Amino acid sequence: MAGREAVKRAVQQVRPILSVDREEARKRALNLYKAWYRQIPYIVMDYDIPMSIEQCRSKLREEFVKHRQVTDIRVIDMLVIKGQMELKETVEIWKQKGHIMRYWKESQDPKPTDFLSKFIQGVN
Amino acid sequence: MIRAPLVKALGALGSPTHQIASRAVRTSAVLAQTPAKAPEKIEVFVDDIPVMVLPGTTVLQAAAEVGVEIPRFCYHERLAVAGNCRMCLVEVEKSPKPVAACAMPVMKGWRIKTNSDLTRKAREGVMEFLLMNHPLDCPICDQGGECDLQDQAMAFGSDRSRFTDINYTGKRAVEDKDIGPLVKTVMTRCIHCTRCVRFASEIAGVDDLGTTGRGNDMQIGTYVEKLFLTELSGNVIDLCPVGALTNKPYSFVARPWEIRKVDSIDVLDAVGSNIVVSTRTNEVLRILPRENEDVNEEWLADKSRFACDGLKRQRLVAPMVRMPNGELQAVEWEGALIAVAKALQKAKGQVAGIAGQLADVEAMVALKDLVNRLDGELLVTEQDFIKGSGIEVRSSYLLNSTIAGLEQADAVLLVGTNPRYEAPLVNTRLRKAYVHNELQIASIGPKIDLSYQHNNLGADPNLVKDVCNGSHAFSKVLEGAKKPAIIIGVDVLERPDGAAIHATISEYCQKLKKPDWNPFNVLHNSASQVGAFDVGYQPGIQAVLQAQPKVLFLLNADAGKVTRDQLPKDCFVVYIGSHGDNGASIADAVLPGAAYTEKQAIYVNTEGRPQQTLPGVSPPGMAREDWKILRALSEVVGKPLAYDNLDELRARLESLAPHLTRLGELQPASGGESVAKPSISISSTPIDVKQKELRDYFMTDAISRASPTMAKCISAVNKQQRQDEARSCAAV
Amino acid sequence: MSLIRQALARTAPTMQFTARRWASSQDGGPLDPSTALARPEELDQRNKLSGKITVPVEVNLGPISGVPEEQLKERRVRIHIPPKNAMQSGTDNINTWQIEFDNRERWENPLMGWASTGDPLSNLNVKFGSKEEAITYCERNGWRWFVDGDLKPKKERVKNYGINFSWNKRTRVSTK
Repeated sequence: MAGREAVKRAVQQVRPILSVDREEARKRALNLYKAWYRQIPYIVMDYDIPMSIEQCRSKLREEFVKHRQVTDIRVIDMLVIKGQMELKETVEIWKQKGHIMRYWKESQDPKPTDFLSKFIQGVN
Repeated sequence: MIRAPLVKALGALGSPTHQIASRAVRTSAVLAQTPAKAPEKIEVFVDDIPVMVLPGTTVLQAAAEVGVEIPRFCYHERLAVAGNCRMCLVEVEKSPKPVAACAMPVMKGWRIKTNSDLTRKAREGVMEFLLMNHPLDCPICDQGGECDLQDQAMAFGSDRSRFTDINYTGKRAVEDKDIGPLVKTVMTRCIHCTRCVRFASEIAGVDDLGTTGRGNDMQIGTYVEKLFLTELSGNVIDLCPVGALTNKPYSFVARPWEIRKVDSIDVLDAVGSNIVVSTRTNEVLRILPRENEDVNEEWLADKSRFACDGLKRQRLVAPMVRMPNGELQAVEWEGALIAVAKALQKAKGQVAGIAGQLADVEAMVALKDLVNRLDGELLVTEQDFIKGSGIEVRSSYLLNSTIAGLEQADAVLLVGTNPRYEAPLVNTRLRKAYVHNELQIASIGPKIDLSYQHNNLGADPNLVKDVCNGSHAFSKVLEGAKKPAIIIGVDVLERPDGAAIHATISEYCQKLKKPDWNPFNVLHNSASQVGAFDVGYQPGIQAVLQAQPKVLFLLNADAGKVTRDQLPKDCFVVYIGSHGDNGASIADAVLPGAAYTEKQAIYVNTEGRPQQTLPGVSPPGMAREDWKILRALSEVVGKPLAYDNLDELRARLESLAPHLTRLGELQPASGGESVAKPSISISSTPIDVKQKELRDYFMTDAISRASPTMAKCISAVNKQQRQDEARSCAAV
Repeated sequence: MSLIRQALARTAPTMQFTARRWASSQDGGPLDPSTALARPEELDQRNKLSGKITVPVEVNLGPISGVPEEQLKERRVRIHIPPKNAMQSGTDNINTWQIEFDNRERWENPLMGWASTGDPLSNLNVKFGSKEEAITYCERNGWRWFVDGDLKPKKERVKNYGINFSWNKRTRVSTK
């Protein structure tokens, strides 16, 4: 009994944002991916970034794969909306070169991950 | 002071009739209470909301039940009702005049109107009179922004003043008093609520403050010019609803809206008072008490409140290693860790650790794990305690009656302790029981002033035996009491015959024991002690000195009990701690740690209540949290400890002692197992306590020793004493 | 769509009459201009969108909240009731649960002396009605949390003006 209740409580009824099922959300994500994929040659050209098309595409894949564990339809929708906005900003040249290059985080020093180097650098 | 109460006068005589009389009073009071066990609640209406309250509840309390807060200045929950500010006037239906809500008990069916026209008019009138003689100096007043008068003038006052200075004499002006280095007075701002007077006489037990004159000429003062020196003087700053009494070290430092507040725990005594640390720009500015009914109510001892400037002085900001020329040289962390690691590898298991007064449980567990991994066994606390099986049962080193429980005690015996300075907030509980519960107190030890009447039985340790075998007169009192308690100080347990005294008393307490009341109490004075015993440290440094270790860790051990010449020549001493004090001066490597305001750490108070501090600021310079230093060191030595973050360390703590992570809760300590009687018998050396007078109280640990405010307090006490002596000489 | 509706409403009554008659000849009900021209699959989609979908209760808003990853993974949230200010007697604003992040370094701005911090979350001040709400909030945002303290019933105290003057108790005031 208790188990069934727990199962019952594990899901909830909510208003959808864009997609009503997983399949639709997946389609939206794929569409966004394709749109970016096709835009990349133009981005490289327009922004004159020191990256090849292949590098850009692998970065694109990386950005999408980063969220592969997201299962909530609404969260996927929000991510798609954000990606769409990002794409729009890129296509319309509302961004500048630096904004594009920020995806590679070249100017950021990687933070230490092991205890000892964190300790010596004094980061939490 | 002038009109000493009858009871006190009788008590001063010390006549047996008084004791009988007081007991008669007590029993009669009890008798009066017992039939009225379940008094019928009566219904009153606050702003038409019905509420059921016990008979005798005041109007103000009844209003608070339904969440209506009546403005007040003189009324304070923990002080006696004075009823002199008149701010709490409210209208009661069918009453011709507004009533003072703080003093008036409710009657059945009363309809109280807290927001009617009459009520508002009354408040406005009172406020107008208060402001007539209150200076308009909010912009330069330290209370500005957290002032009851300011807020209530905005909320309940009139929007204009009718005050005109007819004779151009100005507002009332009162000369400021010099009442010590902690409390600054601007007496012109005083609104005569007498909260400070009541606090001093009821809670602190010193009748130093009082009022002179009447009406417009009334003044709060000390009658004769003297300092208001008690260990609780800082609380009058909190109590003062206006800026008449303010924090002297904090004066003109910050405004309340610039401050960040972090809830934390005080570690300068073993009470574990709850505090709020006020910080700005990575600097601790002041410390305020935080309400906790079970520990400190809402008071705070002066050392805990004012020693916070010691957190900025004498700090260790970089790791240091002793060079061949004998000088400590600041180095990078890598260098220091490698130097210690080399010494550890050479030591081959001859490693020991001493935990001092301010060591937190996390660091002690990390040190214990590290030493154990290096095949060392010796882990001790700097503060001594009884040896042998004394600490195997948890209840044998705790304040089992609990701090809040002592309030209900009706007979207490103090053995070799001065709670007034060792744990001021335990003493306020005893005083509370003395005042409200007719508590009878006796002490074995030197004659000291405890701020309440008590019966000093003498300093002979054999009195303990007399009391415990029932032959002493006070045994009858203890045995007849409903909730008796015996409190042993740690100074006694340090003695060679401490174990015998401990065993005698604990055996007697088995006899005195009541269901859900354990009369056996140990009053610690160092914050780390109970936590150290809980995680398996042994008391006393003698074992370490006998073992002659190759590497010795001093974890916040600053009491100066370990000296260089007690240790072997080739012993490598590693000090981990926050302040450059006794420990750092003998160390070969100094690893700077965090003070209690800079780390999230668990401390266990003397009643066994684990509570955690929270970081308000980050550690200065290159200092790191203590457990992280030990964790890093373990990795450099090549035996890494199994925790990388606080959550993992807490999990380890939980596996070691599950009660330690149930923060704020009291785990009932199992009692009942009688401790094996030690072979040593009680000697006849008189029982003594270390902190006898106020001047002994201020500097007891590395932080308070570094505090300039505490130094000022000591010189103020000395000055006062010189004055008193000169005065008494002149009188002679 | 609403524009069409407005236009229709504003047209002459005859027009309305004809429209109504046309609609009634179709299926007997008034025609909804917002759906009249939609394709069936579009209608279906709209229907679904106005309905509810089933999602797991546990939502992780981490990816879309815009909070940098290092701020999500390494922060601990303390859920607590704010304490009463010891300096004042008012208690009105302390009946809520609050969240507070662990402390990060702050420093004094060397130019102006202002308080600076590198911590974007230190000023996040959210109040909640209960600790469960606060816990849900933290879980959704992917922060580690711990609850500190709990509501304690207030101790009942007997306040009595008379005891200041009682002849046989120690509560008699010794100084005024």
